[in-house]
Amino acid sequence: MYTRLSDIDRLFGNMSLLQKRLNNLYDDYGRSSGYKWGFEHTSPRTNLYENGDNFELKAEVPGLAKEDLNVKIQGNYLEISGTRGSETPEGYKTHKIERGTGSFSRSFTLPADIDSSKVEATLKDGVLYLVLPKHEAAKPKKISIN
Amino acid sequence: MDKTTDITKKETKNIEKTHELYETAPAVDIYENENEILLHADMPGVLKENINVDIDNGTLSISGIRKLKIKGTPTYEEFTDVEYVRNFSVPQTIDVEKVEAELKDGVLRLHLPKSEAAKPRQIEIKTA
Repeated sequence: MYTRLSDIDRLFGNMSLLQKRLNNLYDDYGRSSGYKWGFEHTSPRTNLYENGDNFELKAEVPGLAKEDLNVKIQGNYLEISGTRGSETPEGYKTHKIERGTGSFSRSFTLPADIDSSKVEATLKDGVLYLVLPKHEAAKPKKISIN
Repeated sequence: MDKTTDITKKETKNIEKTHELYETAPAVDIYENENEILLHADMPGVLKENINVDIDNGTLSISGIRKLKIKGTPTYEEFTDVEYVRNFSVPQTIDVEKVEAELKDGVLRLHLPKSEAAKPRQIEIKTA
């Protein structure tokens, strides 16, 4: 029984590894030659976390200065837009351009209303961090029992 | 022994592995002029101290590890911690001593100057 269970355990380990590989398959496809960062087709990849009173959003925006980015919030609607200009230096011959340029706009409908006056946005190392505090009405409340 | 402990117990022979980082190739731009080769690589979220640039035997390898602090429960995730790895062949004419690298806004910029001997030289034609 002992060994059987560990075998199953190992099998599940292999399965999750395979699943991980398969999940990453699409990302790798065609990457080495024709991969574009995706400004032309899609928008930057984002992560959204929920954390009690706040939502936290992270977005990959390498090479963008804070002047290049716009963040708009209304109720539970969030819009991030920006442009990345061409960096091709004068007098240089181009060998490879994979990092896309152009403008993007991405909008989100968040699960709850946001208090737009308290939103904090930070740009660090090519990642945009947004801390979005929930509106008073949407915050979790503790109800005391009488 | 209790049945629940039986199920959760792991075989001691099983080797515990460290968390595997997903490896990916960063998108790069490569430019060249008479004096140098320029390489720009997108590495959002990678800190300076987690980047390695090596030139060895005609191979330039860049790698960078991103570790993001996560707070709260993910509603959705489109990117995770990652290791950016990519190798390039560089011509022998690169002056390895003078290679410079800078990191700004998640973009790694490498300057690979060509050695003096490799630069094109205009030969003046003398008229007799």
